[in-house]
Amino acid sequence: MTSAPVKEPEIISEQNLEPALPWITLVWNDPVNLMSYVTYVFQTYFGYSRAKAEKLMMDVHVKGKAVVSHGTREAMETDCMAMQGFGLWATFEKDQ
Amino acid sequence: MARAFRRKGDRLVGKLDEAERLIVASLMEQTRSLLAPDVASTGDAFADLIASLESSVATPEGMPRGTDPGDRDPALARLLPDAHRGDPAVSAEFRRLTEQDLRRRKSDGLTAAIDALRGVTEGDRVSLDQPTAQAFVVALTDTRLLIGERLGLRTEEDAEALELQLRADPDNPVAYAAAVYDFLTWLQDSLVGALMGRRLFP
Repeated sequence: MTSAPVKEPEIISEQNLEPALPWITLVWNDPVNLMSYVTYVFQTYFGYSRAKAEKLMMDVHVKGKAVVSHGTREAMETDCMAMQGFGLWATFEKDQ
Repeated sequence: MARAFRRKGDRLVGKLDEAERLIVASLMEQTRSLLAPDVASTGDAFADLIASLESSVATPEGMPRGTDPGDRDPALARLLPDAHRGDPAVSAEFRRLTEQDLRRRKSDGLTAAIDALRGVTEGDRVSLDQPTAQAFVVALTDTRLLIGERLGLRTEEDAEALELQLRADPDNPVAYAAAVYDFLTWLQDSLVGALMGRRLFP
């Protein structure tokens, strides 16, 4: 059980409203993975729409890589592990 | 003679004759033997976690097998790539935290796919429920990554060069491996299409 806070909640400062998403997960192009499969993975794992998944897949294919998610370091480690689990060539890093 | 996967109700159904099933299952077994974790799954996730922690502590320098990039099979380096480009310490830490789990997940998925192929009883029908189909499509990916690495396919240019080379010299010894690879590619694309609800003849 829980109760409402006695104190009035503090107003969140503008600084705290900055999204804390300083890390990214990248997927890199490789000659083995199928365009259909990469789209399937982005839709299945991230829940992205078909259009968004296809756009990211084309970025991987044409530009050589795409940022597929943003978030905390821990979240990106989870996403990177999932992408590697699907056999995609995934890395994570701090956003520049 | 193989037939593409299609959705039939809540199942994904394709056809593979006995020779095709034997080849695919045997390649999946090879992939699994490369990927097998240090400690086999007990079926209990918590016991597995403890066992993998113990194994990573028990080996010299506290590192799981194959952690030294120098002694890794290049196919393994592709199946379990460095997770950070430019910071080996971050990659090593990621590996320490995830490698055994990834190996186990991949091995279990390959086992599910191999069992499905071995379980075919009538009419060469490979009939998969949704979870098995999802494991099967990943198992095909990992198997193609292994064969692709053995065929030297690291860039798009490598893939084009191999195609040209085989067209010029169809008796090349790698032609059989390349044909099997192409077959797995076709099979995987058909299963992805069926999973995504793509119609066979749009």
